[in-house]
Amino acid sequence: MSGIVAAPVLASTVLASTVAAPSALAGGASVVAVGVLLAEFGMLRQALLRDQVRLYAVQSALLSVLCIVVAATRHLPDVYALAALSFALKVVIVPVVLRRMLRGIGAIGGDPRWSDIAGSHALSVASAVLIAIAVAALGFFTVAALGLRSPVLPATALSISVAVILVAFVLMIVRRDVISQAIGFLSLENGVSLTALVVAAGLPLILEIAFLFDLLVVAVVFGLLIRVHHGRADSLSTAELTSLKG
Amino acid sequence: MSPALPILLVQLLQVVTIAAAAPGVSGVISRVEARLQGRTGPRVLQPYYDLGKLFRKEALAPIGSSWVFLAAPVAAITCYLTVPLLIPVLTTFGLPLGYMGDILGGGFILSLASFVVAVAALDTGSPYAQLGASRAKTFGAITEPVVLFVVFTVALVTGTDLPYALAATVRSSVGQIIRPAHLLAAAALFMVILYETGRIPVETHSGTNEFGMIEEARPFEHSGPYFALLTWGSAMKQLILFTILINVFVAPWGLAATPSLVSVLLAIAALIGKAALLGVVVAVIDNSFGKLRLFKITEFAAGAFLLAVLGVFTLYLGGG
Repeated sequence: MSGIVAAPVLASTVLASTVAAPSALAGGASVVAVGVLLAEFGMLRQALLRDQVRLYAVQSALLSVLCIVVAATRHLPDVYALAALSFALKVVIVPVVLRRMLRGIGAIGGDPRWSDIAGSHALSVASAVLIAIAVAALGFFTVAALGLRSPVLPATALSISVAVILVAFVLMIVRRDVISQAIGFLSLENGVSLTALVVAAGLPLILEIAFLFDLLVVAVVFGLLIRVHHGRADSLSTAELTSLKG
Repeated sequence: MSPALPILLVQLLQVVTIAAAAPGVSGVISRVEARLQGRTGPRVLQPYYDLGKLFRKEALAPIGSSWVFLAAPVAAITCYLTVPLLIPVLTTFGLPLGYMGDILGGGFILSLASFVVAVAALDTGSPYAQLGASRAKTFGAITEPVVLFVVFTVALVTGTDLPYALAATVRSSVGQIIRPAHLLAAAALFMVILYETGRIPVETHSGTNEFGMIEEARPFEHSGPYFALLTWGSAMKQLILFTILINVFVAPWGLAATPSLVSVLLAIAALIGKAALLGVVVAVIDNSFGKLRLFKITEFAAGAFLLAVLGVFTLYLGGG
């Protein structure tokens, strides 16, 4: 019987020498940051325009949640304003603008709600994900090696934000359709916002607002460019752009 | 105070619980699935009747098959009866035989079972059984790295790879549950379990379409009691994997802390309840997604791999 009584003691002594759990707040913040990265990977493999825009909205919403966490823990009222503004613009307005401008483009079976950009991968989806994992790992560990510490969010969030930026680059490189490239660019901005939030939560509000409205302009410009490209080439593929025109 | 059970009896009860409850959990899943599709569906106890019927039937072996064909179902079920000794099925404290092997040890025994079934399928010479065996091994090799990374996560979190230690860690604080490494590893393991138990989006569990079959195609040539052993074995494998997910990762509550009769009985009821609940989740997933094309299963495995790798990364960065 003594062996049985000793067993839980053994387990608990082993536990003492392990990676300590983060606090509930830090753990929750890391989970949301990981969610931002997973949304980026989701966009990398997503086959439908509608779902890609939706994932962008989800990613932006998670970012607003992180803004609120920072605002609540550091008592920064202007970050609340930033969270609200970024939610309104990135979760509501930009996706709506994008969907409006891309209505009917490359629609499957004439149904304007579905636009097919599947098969635009230069590599197979599994290889693209594996490459993105490797690139994200590079971002993770180089930033971790810098040893930056943030007073607001766990250091993981900084590494994750750099990984988001790098995966957004992979997204723009491996997918050969104009919509993925626009979405990749917009989500790249989400990664930059996350970095800014971790490194300098107290960035002047006016600067942030300027960035956000720039983003709106970018969405409109991308929408226009995609429409023009689709009108000329009758396709969303960027393969049409390689030949010269006289 | 209820009487304390002998510790060996508790150990034995772990195996008996898994063996007896496994067909019932399969029954719950197919019942819920049928109800979600608007059908009445089979009784929850139907798998028991099926097993009883199969055990009474005669067994046939294809001409030219060797002793391996008949030995494999027995060997496989022996493996499935061994694994419940190693994992926390009923108790929070490690039972004497629970330290025979760690998570990897349990994984090896499960792979041994799958290996002998594949060898038996090859022994039949039947193209469908061989196709199933070959596919199961191919995709098994792809999901193996995911399992390894999940084990790495467990090892980094607890400093050991004993399943009992992780369950104790998860119970210890809220911070242990919402840390990203734990959530990511649990999600990755759940995706592997969907693959291993032959569920949507990898495979239709009760389908008759041979082209999409992986696990289901392997026992095509077995009949009678041997087929019953294989069916029972795969139900047990499903419940074992569910138990690992529930009692080690997701909800290690309701386990018996002492070997007293009442708490062990409560633990049995809790395990069956939690497994049935997980079965309902699996049935909902079965009804909400389409089956992936065979060549898209790598994408599914890549997704699971992504989750498991991110779990290890966040741990290394210290924020996991």
